[in-house]
Amino acid sequence: MNASALKWWETIQIAWSKYTAYRLNFFLQVLGPAFVFFFIKYNLWSAIYGGDQDILIAGYTFQQMITYHIWAMIVGLIAQGHTALNLAEEIRLGKISTYLIYPFQFWEFHTAHFIAFQWLQVLTSAVTVLLLALMSLLTVPSFALILTGLTYCLFVSVFWFALQYLTGLLGFWLEETWILRVILQIMTGFLSGAIIPLDFYPEKFVQFLNYTPFPYLTYFPIKIFMGEMNQIGSAYGIMAFWIVLLWLANHLIWKKGIRLYTAAGM
Amino acid sequence: MISAKNLTKQFISSKKKPGLLGALESLFYREPVIKNAVESFDLEINQGEMIGLLGPNGAGKTTLMKMFTGIIVPSSGELKILGHEPAQRHKEFRKNIALVMGQKSQLWWDIPAMDSFLLLKRYYEIPELEFKQRVTEMAALLNVESLMNIHVRRLSLGERMKMELMASLLHSPKVIFLDEPTIGLDLVAQENIRQFILDYHRKTHATLIITSHYMADVQALCQRLVLIFDGKKAFDGPLKTFETILGNDKIVSFQFADSLTEDAALFADFSPVYQEDRKGVELKIPLEKLRAVTSEALEKFDITEFNTDKMPIEKVMKTLMTNPQLLKRHSL
Repeated sequence: MNASALKWWETIQIAWSKYTAYRLNFFLQVLGPAFVFFFIKYNLWSAIYGGDQDILIAGYTFQQMITYHIWAMIVGLIAQGHTALNLAEEIRLGKISTYLIYPFQFWEFHTAHFIAFQWLQVLTSAVTVLLLALMSLLTVPSFALILTGLTYCLFVSVFWFALQYLTGLLGFWLEETWILRVILQIMTGFLSGAIIPLDFYPEKFVQFLNYTPFPYLTYFPIKIFMGEMNQIGSAYGIMAFWIVLLWLANHLIWKKGIRLYTAAGM
Repeated sequence: MISAKNLTKQFISSKKKPGLLGALESLFYREPVIKNAVESFDLEINQGEMIGLLGPNGAGKTTLMKMFTGIIVPSSGELKILGHEPAQRHKEFRKNIALVMGQKSQLWWDIPAMDSFLLLKRYYEIPELEFKQRVTEMAALLNVESLMNIHVRRLSLGERMKMELMASLLHSPKVIFLDEPTIGLDLVAQENIRQFILDYHRKTHATLIITSHYMADVQALCQRLVLIFDGKKAFDGPLKTFETILGNDKIVSFQFADSLTEDAALFADFSPVYQEDRKGVELKIPLEKLRAVTSEALEKFDITEFNTDKMPIEKVMKTLMTNPQLLKRHSL
């Protein structure tokens, strides 16, 4: 490995030790919300379907609806799991100073952390899928389908990371950005199909949504895992466009923002 | 090596009135306040110098340090360190500097110091053999061999500070910035840290810039002082010159076995300040008369104790901080 690759690798390892330093916290953080969410959804949809196995709602049987939400949870873990990035606080409290001195760029440091986090998330997802399959709540799809879905999810997670990074960088101007991040998360939940399948929305609205990045974040990958998606190419194209756009925006915002940084408290 | 010309940094903040009304008002209008944290600062530092950067709280020392290390961008002026403009944060520049902050931890809390060192080894591309050698040597000097694998958050402040120092010096930086490296440490730990820094300087001939409120640090480490008041340079010269900036007088105090019944004629010319019980007196004696006056006093009175100022800079610093106008008279 060359020197640069070694820097990345060492940072990823450090990130792993940091993420797993508090074991209970780690398990709760990774598994807790997903499971709570899933069981709320399970009970909610059970109540809506009223125990009727044959009824169709927006084209979904009860079983299909539950499968949809299991995949929504898995996609959430892999594609949008990285929400802990609190750059705004680091900027406000002057914590980024250290990274400005080390000969390893600030974005490199955070990207390495993101990569480390993604490995853990993939592992968690694999365990979750396995458990749900053992509980016969889920039929495990073919290996090819899993690979296609996973690759796509990881690609989308790059978009999500870049977006989180962008909201974080706004901390150079705003003192707090958590409300922005919460709004973003709630909006994403509804518009990406994570809370209810997009099939429930009016067709015109869904057509409009297709011009935004939202459906490609959750609805598309769910459909990939469920074996019902055949426009992966265009989805990759659209997401690639957004990733490049965000990357450029982050680059510019960092260049402008760092001039305003005061390193409060050093 | 380090060259600053007309260096200026402005901070813009906003005023907020107190209370609920003030809070509501601040939602719509905030009065901007512009402050020159550092103003038209000139400085030349040569390779291998050890400089003490002194000044009261809020004078601009830390702002200067931040500009020197490239953490913040100067508002105007020129700054060159090792041939680089720090604000560009060039990799070559970053590889050759270090910053030690007494008030802030640079190590990661949740992992042992050794893990942080290993990461820094990669960042600074330190060869394996050199790394091992340096870690062993520094750990022995600082007496922290047994603490390397303990989570940083479990270390005491003194232990952590030693680790911080090690972390900052692993890559043998050419320029080291130390921002209050001994703050909050006990006397023995302070002494250890000072010894270690001196030792390091002797071996490497690195350039050191130190800020501290402990004059003992300055006395032990710095040959040259730069004083900053209100963002502007107020003094720049050798420690020796600084000690005599307010005159060559020595502060001498005598304790007597018995109370003096009347003021002694011998002391009259040296602005004597008597203790309330008249068992002691403090005098300001010009250096050239010191010998004569003390020997005469020892002869004439039954003297039990006799002291001269151990740390003249502390006195000078205190006097200047309470009477900054004195500086104008003595400034460059």
